[in-house]
Amino acid sequence: MSAQGDCEFLVKRARELVPQDPYAAKAWLITARTLYPADFNIQYEMYSIERNAERTASAGRLLYDIFVNFPEQPVVWREIAVITAALRNDSQDKHAQFLKGVFETLPGPVQCKMLLKATEQCFNTLEKAEMLLLLLKRFPESVVQHGVSLGESLLEAETVENLDTPVNCFRKLFVCDVLPLILNNPNMCLPVSLLYKYMHKAAEFYICYVTREPSADAQIQGSQEVGGLKSPGRGRSQRYVIDGLSEKSSVVTEPWDRLLEMVGVVGSLCDWQGEKASRSYSELLQRVSELCRYMSATDSEGFSRCCAQIVTCCTLVLFHSAFHYVSAVQPSLFQGHTSLSSCPWVLLEDLSGVYTDVEVERKHTHKKRKLADGREKTMSSDDEDLLAKGRGRHIVVNKAEMPSWAETLEHFRTARESWDLLHSHQSLETEFAKICSSWKTEIWMWFRIFLTDMIIYQGQYRKALSSLGLMSSLQLQQNPNQNPLSSSSSLETQRAIIQQASCHYALGEYRMACEKLLEVVSGLMPQNHEAVKSSEEQRKPRSKTRRGNDLRLLPCTSKSILPFCLQLMLACFKLRAFTDNRDDLALGHVIVLLQYDWPQGENLFLKAVDKICQQGSFQYENFFNYVTNIDMLEEFAYLRTTEGGRVQLELLPNQGMLIKNPSPALGVELNTLLLPGAQKADRHHTVTRGITKGVKEDFRLAMERQVSRCGENLLTVLHRFCINEKIILVQSLP
Amino acid sequence: MSFTGFRSYFCDEQRSHCQLWAINVCRLIEANVTSLIINSEEMSDIRHALLRRDPLSAAKEVLYHLDISLGSALQSSTGPTPGLEKSMVELVEEFIFHVPKDRNIQPKRMSCVQELQLLEIMCSYFQEQSKDAIRQIIFSALFSLQGNKADESRMAMLGKLVSMAIAVCRVPILECAAVWLQRTHSAWCVRLAQVLMDDYCTLVPCAISTLQNICSASPRFCCQLITAVTALYDFSSDELTPPPALLEMLVGWITEDPRLLLLTFINTPLNSSLPLGCLEITPLLGLLRWCVKAPLAYQRCRKPALTNGHGESEKGTASEELYSKLHLSVLQVFLMLQVHLTEQNLIGRLAVLPVESVATLVEEVSRLCEKLTPFPAANHIQLALDRLAQALQVAMATGALLCAREDLRALCSRLPHNNLLQLVMSGPVVQPPPHSGPFQPNMYPHIHPGRPSSLSPHSPHPVLSPHPALSPHRPLTAHTAHPSLSPHAFHPAAMAFPYRPIR
Repeated sequence: MSAQGDCEFLVKRARELVPQDPYAAKAWLITARTLYPADFNIQYEMYSIERNAERTASAGRLLYDIFVNFPEQPVVWREIAVITAALRNDSQDKHAQFLKGVFETLPGPVQCKMLLKATEQCFNTLEKAEMLLLLLKRFPESVVQHGVSLGESLLEAETVENLDTPVNCFRKLFVCDVLPLILNNPNMCLPVSLLYKYMHKAAEFYICYVTREPSADAQIQGSQEVGGLKSPGRGRSQRYVIDGLSEKSSVVTEPWDRLLEMVGVVGSLCDWQGEKASRSYSELLQRVSELCRYMSATDSEGFSRCCAQIVTCCTLVLFHSAFHYVSAVQPSLFQGHTSLSSCPWVLLEDLSGVYTDVEVERKHTHKKRKLADGREKTMSSDDEDLLAKGRGRHIVVNKAEMPSWAETLEHFRTARESWDLLHSHQSLETEFAKICSSWKTEIWMWFRIFLTDMIIYQGQYRKALSSLGLMSSLQLQQNPNQNPLSSSSSLETQRAIIQQASCHYALGEYRMACEKLLEVVSGLMPQNHEAVKSSEEQRKPRSKTRRGNDLRLLPCTSKSILPFCLQLMLACFKLRAFTDNRDDLALGHVIVLLQYDWPQGENLFLKAVDKICQQGSFQYENFFNYVTNIDMLEEFAYLRTTEGGRVQLELLPNQGMLIKNPSPALGVELNTLLLPGAQKADRHHTVTRGITKGVKEDFRLAMERQVSRCGENLLTVLHRFCINEKIILVQSLP
Repeated sequence: MSFTGFRSYFCDEQRSHCQLWAINVCRLIEANVTSLIINSEEMSDIRHALLRRDPLSAAKEVLYHLDISLGSALQSSTGPTPGLEKSMVELVEEFIFHVPKDRNIQPKRMSCVQELQLLEIMCSYFQEQSKDAIRQIIFSALFSLQGNKADESRMAMLGKLVSMAIAVCRVPILECAAVWLQRTHSAWCVRLAQVLMDDYCTLVPCAISTLQNICSASPRFCCQLITAVTALYDFSSDELTPPPALLEMLVGWITEDPRLLLLTFINTPLNSSLPLGCLEITPLLGLLRWCVKAPLAYQRCRKPALTNGHGESEKGTASEELYSKLHLSVLQVFLMLQVHLTEQNLIGRLAVLPVESVATLVEEVSRLCEKLTPFPAANHIQLALDRLAQALQVAMATGALLCAREDLRALCSRLPHNNLLQLVMSGPVVQPPPHSGPFQPNMYPHIHPGRPSSLSPHSPHPVLSPHPALSPHRPLTAHTAHPSLSPHAFHPAAMAFPYRPIR
C-alpha cells in the first residue's frame, strides 16, 4: 500500500463515520495523523469536522496547524479568504461570527501573516485597504510599515477615481480608520507638512460630511412617506450611504468632536505653541488669537512659524461655528437637520424704530450725510457704513420663536471673529485662501449664506448684494431643475430677495428696496392680523437709542415677513413723505402703512395730520380703498369740519382732476387711471353724480361705507394694497 | 498540640474517663511534650481500663491515644515517618476493629448506632485535623492492611467511612482514600470500589449524582476511583459489565477535563516505590479495555436478549455512543500525555502503558473474538479491533507504549484481520517529507491572555501545576526507542487543544 493510499483510506473511513459517530471519526483521524503527520488531507479533514460543527477553539487550533504546515495549499488560502471576508464585513450571521471567533483564537503573528497574505490577493483598492486596515488595527507595530502607504494609496485612489466629493469611501477609510492609527502610533515620525496635509484632508472630510445635503433619494422617500408616518421628520434624512460602503460604515459619529480630537493630536505632534488639547472650538480660537496677538507683536519670524497653526485652527473654528449658525438659520440645507418644524431665518435690518419721530432721525441722517460728504473721495459707501455700524451691532431675535438663539448668535459671533482673525494678516489670508480653493469652498452654498450674513452684519451692503447674487447663481447651478413652486425652494429664494431688499434699503436705494419687497409680498399669504399682534408686543420695550444700527433675525414665514415688508415700505416712504416738499402720494402711502401695528405709529400719523393741516389740502385717491382704521377715518372726517380747519380733502378717485390739478401729483394721477381694479367702481360712481355739488355727499357716503369695513382683515387689505399699487408704489420713490 | 481533634469528643464522658484523661495530661506535662512513649506495661493498664468500658467510648479512647502518640512522635522526630508501636496496633485492632486478642475475652461489639457515631467522630476528626501529615498517618495506621484477621473489619469500616465521606463531601478523607487506593493491592482497591458502587450505583440508583459532584471536590480521589472501577468491571460477566450510570458519569468527568486521567501520574514522584500489585498509575489501560471489549461484550449480552425489543437496544446505542466518546477521550489523553512526557524529557524512558498489560488485553480480545466468531458479530469485532488498533498506534506514537512494530506484530498475530490493525502493525509507508524542517513546537505563542490555559491557576486541579521531584527516573528495561519519536517534534504549549500534529 502506498502512503497516499493509506491516507485516502483513513480519511475515507473518517468521512463515512462523521454522520453516525463523530467521535469515532475523530478517533480515526487522530490515529491517521499519528501515522502520517505530514499529510494535508488528514488535517484538513479534522479541521473541516470542527469547522462544520462550529467548535471555535479546536477549529482555530487545527487551522493554525494547517496554516503553518501547509502554507502552499490552495484550499488553505480559500479558507483564509472566507475568514478574512467575514472579518471585513459587519455581518451578524452566525457562521460569520464563528469564523471571526476562529480567527481570534489564532496567535498574533499568524493573524498578521494571514492578513498580509490575504491582502496580497486583493485587487480592488477598497477591499485591499479594508484588509490592510484589519491588520493595522490588530497590530499597531505594523502601522509604521504600512500606515502611510495605505493612506497615500487611498488618497491616490480618490484622485484616480475622480470623485466629486470628499465624502467618499476612500476618504472615509483614510480619515476615520487609517489616520487615527497613524496619528496615535507613538512610533510614527511624520514630517510636519504631511501632518498638515492629512489634517486638512480630514477636516475637509468631516466638514463636508456634516454639511452634506439631504440625499436626493432620501428626499423622495421622505415625501412619499410623509403621509403615512406619524413623525415625518424622523423618516427622512436618517439614511445616508457613502458609495462603496455599507450603511453602517457610512455613519460617522460626532464628526466635530473627532475633528477636535485630531487637532489636539496633530497639535502635539507639530509642537504647537500653547497647545494643550482644547476641549472646545471656542477655546481653540481663544488660544490662537492670543498667540496671534502675541506673535505679531513680538517677532515676525515666530509669526510665520505659527502661521500654519493659526490658519488651521482658525479655519476649523470658522467652519464649525458657521455651520452651526447656518444650520440654525437654514436647516433644510443639511442632511439630518430636516424637520418640518424648522423654517429658514433671515438676517435683516431692524425696523422696530420705524414709528419713531421722523425729525430726530432726519437730523441724524442729515448729519451723517454731511460727514460722509466730507470723506466721499476716499471712502466708498460701504466703508462709511462699516465705520458707522460695523462694530457691536445688535441682533434682535424673538427668543420664543428661536429657543437656541443665544448659541446661534454666539456661533455667528465666533465665526466672524475667526474670519476677522484670518484676515488680520496678509500671510494668514494667503494660507486661508489656499485651503479654501483646495476645498472649493466657493461652491459651498451654506458657507455663502454665512458669508452674506456676515457681510450684512459688517454693514457692507454693496458687497452683500453681490454675495446674494452669487448665492442665487449657485442655487441655480446646484439645483437647475428645482421646481420653483416647491415650498422650501420658494422660501429660500424669498430669503435672498428679502435680504436684497433690506440691503438696498440700508444703502438708501428705496426704489430698489421696494421693488424687491413687492416681489416677495406677491408670494406671501396674509395671515390673520390678530396672530401677529402678540409677537409685536415684545418689540416695544426696546430702547430707541440703538435704532438704525440693529439687525433682526426673522423667521422666513409669511407671518413674519409680511409685517417686515410693510415696515420697510413705511421706512422708505416716511422720509419722502415728511420732506419740506409736498408729496401727498407718499404721505398717503405712509398713512395706509401706519395702520399696521396701530397705534404704534400714532405719533407719525398725527405728524402727517399736522402736515395736511399746514398744507390745507390733501389728495390721496386710494384712501378709501385701503384706510379702514377707525381712528384715522375719524381724524379725517374731523379735518373737513370747521373745527378741524376745513382741510380740503380729495380722497375719492378723479376728484382732484375735476376740481383742480395740483402739479406734482399729475403724473401719478395719470398712472392711477391706467391701473385696473378697485378704482373702477368708484370712478363709475363719480361719473354719475354732479361735478362739485355732490362731492360733500360722496365723502360722507364713502366715510360711512368705510366705517363698516373696519372689521376687515387689515393684513389682507394691506397685502392687496401692495399687490394692486405695486407700480405706483415703486414709481413714487426716487 | 495535636490532641485538640479528639479532645472535644470526650467532654461528655464519665468520670473514669476523665481520670484517665487527667493521667495522660499529667504524663504529657511530665514528659515535657517532647516524646511520648507508652510502654507495654502502661499499655496493658490502658487496655484493662478500656475493657471495662462500653465499646464506643473505648474506641474513642483508642483514637485519642493514637492521635496523641502519633502526633507527638511526628512532632518530635525529624527523621522518617514514625512507626507504630505494636501495642498500639493491637489496641486499634481490638477496640476499633473488634478482633479478639485472646480467646477468653470477647470484646464487646458496638451497636449500629454506636458504629455510626464512631464513623461520625472519625469523619469530623479527619476533617478538622489541619496537618496533612498527621491525618495521613492516622488514616494509614487505621486502614493500612496488615495481612491479619483484622483486615476484613478494616475494609468494612473503610468502605463505610469513604462512602460517608462521599455523601457529606469530606475532602480530606477522600484525599486520604486516594492515597490508600494508590498504595494498596488492587484486589483490596477493587473491593472498596465494589462497596462504593453498591452504595452509589446499584442500591440507590439516583445516588450517583452525589458521587458525580465529588469530581470537582477531590479529582485525585476520582482519578483513583476510575482506575479501581475499571479494574472491577472487566466484562467477564454481566455483573462485571460497567453499569450505564457509572459509564455516563465517567464520560462526563473525562470530557469535562480529560486531564483528570493523568492526575495521579503527574502527581506521583517518579522515584516513589509503589507496592507490587497495586493499581495502574493511570486509568488509561482500564478505560481502553472497556472501550475495546465493550462492543464484544454487549454483543454477547445481546445474543440471548435478541427478542427483548427496543428498550434494550436503545440502551445499547446510548452506551455505544458513550464508549465511542470515551475512546476518543482516551486517545486525546494520550496526546496530552505526550506533551507532558516531552516537557519532562521522559519520552521513551517511561512506560505508562506496560507492554505486559497490553499483551493481556490483546489476549483477552482475541479470546473474546474467537468466542464470537463466526460471522454475525463481524461488525462488532471490527469496531473492537479498530479501537484497539487506534489505541495501540496513538499510544506508541505518543510514547505511552514502548513497543516496536515487530513486537506488536507478534503480539497481535492471533487477532482476526482488520485493515487498520494491519496498517498499524506494518507502520506508515515512508514518504519523503513534503517540506523541509521539523515542526517547531514553540511557534504557537500565547498572546491572547483570554485563552484558558489548562495550566492556569484557576484550573480546578491545582495539583496539576508543575511536576514535583522529577530528577531520578524509574530505570527502564531496554527498549527500542520509537522510530517516529523525537523529543523536539512536539510543542508543549498546546495542552488546551485536543489534536496536535505529531512528527
